[in-house]
Amino acid sequence: MTAETVLYILVSGVVLGSLYALMAVGLALVWTTLGIFNFAHGMFITLGAYFAWTVADGNGLGWGLAAGIAFSVAALAALGCLAEAVLVRPFLKRDNLVLVAVITTLAAATFLENATLLSRGGRSKQLAPLAEGNISMFGIGLSAHEAAIVVIAPLILYSVWLFLQRTRTGSALRAIAQNQEAALLAGIPVARLYALSFALAASLAGLVGIFLGGIKFMSPSMGTDPMVKALVVVIFGGIASISGPIRAAYVIGLLEAVCIYSIGIYWTQAALFVVMIAVLMIRPTGLFGGQRA
Amino acid sequence: MIKTERSFEGVYLALAIGALLIAPFILTESYTRHLLILALIYAVVASNWDLSLGYGGLFNFAHLAFFSIGVYGYGIMAKSIGISPWLAIPLAGLLSVAAAMIVAVPILRLGGIYIILVTFAFSQLVLQIVVSQSDITGGNMGMVGLPPLKLPGYNFVRDGKLGYYFGAVILLLSSTFFLRWLVNSPTGLSIVALRDNADYAVSRGISLAKQRVITLTASALFTGIAGGYYGAYIRVASPDAFGMGLLSLLLSILLVGGTSTIYGPILAAFLLTFISEAMVDLGPWRHMIVAVMIVAVLIFYPGGIWQAATGFNEFLKRRLGGRVARKTSAQST
Amino acid sequence: MQKLLEVDKLASGYGRIQIVRDISFSLATGECLGLFGPNGHGKSTLLKAISGLLPCWSGSIRFAGQTISNASPRKIVEAGLILVPQGNQLFPEMTVGETLRLGAFANAARAEEASNLERAYSIFPRLKERDRQQVWSLSGGERQMVAIGVGLMGNPKLLILDEPTLGLAPRIKDELCDAIGAVSKHGVPLVVVEQDVEFLLGLVDRLILIDHGSAVREFSAANSIGHDEIMDMYFGDGKVA
Repeated sequence: MTAETVLYILVSGVVLGSLYALMAVGLALVWTTLGIFNFAHGMFITLGAYFAWTVADGNGLGWGLAAGIAFSVAALAALGCLAEAVLVRPFLKRDNLVLVAVITTLAAATFLENATLLSRGGRSKQLAPLAEGNISMFGIGLSAHEAAIVVIAPLILYSVWLFLQRTRTGSALRAIAQNQEAALLAGIPVARLYALSFALAASLAGLVGIFLGGIKFMSPSMGTDPMVKALVVVIFGGIASISGPIRAAYVIGLLEAVCIYSIGIYWTQAALFVVMIAVLMIRPTGLFGGQRA
Repeated sequence: MIKTERSFEGVYLALAIGALLIAPFILTESYTRHLLILALIYAVVASNWDLSLGYGGLFNFAHLAFFSIGVYGYGIMAKSIGISPWLAIPLAGLLSVAAAMIVAVPILRLGGIYIILVTFAFSQLVLQIVVSQSDITGGNMGMVGLPPLKLPGYNFVRDGKLGYYFGAVILLLSSTFFLRWLVNSPTGLSIVALRDNADYAVSRGISLAKQRVITLTASALFTGIAGGYYGAYIRVASPDAFGMGLLSLLLSILLVGGTSTIYGPILAAFLLTFISEAMVDLGPWRHMIVAVMIVAVLIFYPGGIWQAATGFNEFLKRRLGGRVARKTSAQST
Repeated sequence: MQKLLEVDKLASGYGRIQIVRDISFSLATGECLGLFGPNGHGKSTLLKAISGLLPCWSGSIRFAGQTISNASPRKIVEAGLILVPQGNQLFPEMTVGETLRLGAFANAARAEEASNLERAYSIFPRLKERDRQQVWSLSGGERQMVAIGVGLMGNPKLLILDEPTLGLAPRIKDELCDAIGAVSKHGVPLVVVEQDVEFLLGLVDRLILIDHGSAVREFSAANSIGHDEIMDMYFGDGKVA
């Protein structure tokens, strides 16, 4: 194996890891604040790409990629609020909230996938890349788009971290995650912050969709595969914290890149699953999950 | 009290079996019979899912994979290997049981949400393996021309699928008796005890790990057999068997039917298979309508229609009980 | 006299299980009140109903002239009625400083955040020393101080303390008693729920015994109550020797 190959695996692993991290953070944020897992998260990816395409592409409104990204992120924030109001809020007081939310979010995923199919058709589309052309670094060439992802994703993750740690609203979100009743007694508007965390998670997923739309062809089911990877990531990294899934995302991204190179794309999934099972048998709360369940 | 309930159950059961035996002679049209056969198979799958999800409180989202493994298992055994279909169907059930054991291992020590995540990931993994191993499974195209069921001199598809219909009835009845027997056995009671109060049950010496393995494998047995039967009937094994369409249909059957009842999902399977088939021309709209319906039922009818049916049963009992009480009081005055 | 808090024929409970039946009491402006009684007889349920965490089934709660029965917890906090939960019910993975600042989340409290923080630090100097420490690493007494501090940050017109001394060592209890006295001297009216009647006697003007979900007896703290009498109230009718 040459140094270039190693570097190539490293870079593609980091690209994958960045996308998974953006997804997993959203899933973990919603889990810690609301205590539900959102199976429609993958569809937020798809919609992020399609919204951006509709505004940006010449076959849509043709307003350029920047407008497309801005619209897509805003639309997904709104959709996140709506999803919380319809899929979660009516069931907050039920004992079986976790299970009910799995079912409602799965139903929403089906709904949104078919709605996308109806309105946009199954034909593949492609989104313009964030940056044109290729750059070569350390003797390997990679597309400017992928390089942009590698740089931008950690910046976004860092700003999410800053928001959670340094702002009043962010610390209120963390407070809800730690003790909801105490948060209510401190006068924190818990219901409003539920919607906020859903909106934030949806926007992050939308960004993943925009990044992916510049790499692969878009289809209504384009979110399914990253969603399954994000599942593995949150199982692997534990879902009860924000930092665990981020670290796990990069580990899984790199592992996947190594597997694709060594054993081929078809067995990669199985290999990831075997690793996941092994981790769970040793540490039931995930590799980075800490002691709390 | 218990005695009345039992006798009511017996009456309803006899009525239901009677209806199932008469139905194909009233509904003679081939398409209607097709829907009935599908409903019978889905009823088996849904009521067995109820065992893990409802009775076991085990958030198992790999159930559809157990079914699909049954379908593909039948396809590979009966077509590629050439085993007799009559043997391949029960073997498909055992294959699903083996799959259930594999899923059970990582979730033995896990709690609520992680069980959902792992089982969901498992079913996606099985799907991806099936799609990728196209030499064996036909990949995205699936396997076609699976061997049908035959008795010497009689193809089950003859007489308007009458053979398949009664085969499915026998399948549903044996699955239902199996489930009834299991949930009323000491094992079944300990499964429910674990669901309702895990700490207490564990402190009374019930093993969480053992019960989880039992629940999952028991729920996989008839699900896999139903998968094999489905393969022998439809004669196709395709990745659609893992799809969101079938998953939403089964989920809505469970939701409308209510969990922890066995009979509820069976009743709902008939209702929803027909509703869902009625919308088949609507294309993507069909799945969207089913999705909206699922959320609506959850919001407005948390207990499912089975609850309404038992409500009616209670009402009936109260009316009858009230009349008896009035009679006795009239006699005493 | 102007009433600050009026609870009238209140009933509440969890799900279908009624715990509080027909509790009535009131608190005049500038008064401190103690609630006591055996465990499991509705003290915590009463507090949850007052603070909006549990629904009021019937009856009414009025605070500072407005009806707050079945209002959201946030509205009740905005109105200035703040319940201080027990110290182990805080945010374990937050620093003391962060936790205190969260107490000023309500709009009504934002303007006074700086002065309230100063007040909290002056009553509990130890919290200032521990400002950057995470709550889980504090002692039980310190956590209770943080909890009361969070309540003070909400700019309260009335502070309700839920069993502040539960599980604390006697020496820390005394320290906390002094601090709570200081809170009261800062002009914040208090309702204190406790099992330890002697602890209450040093703090409040009036005592109410909560038993079997209703307010059964009332005492003025000025007339000292003997130990035997307290035991009698707890166990009643000499059933316990």
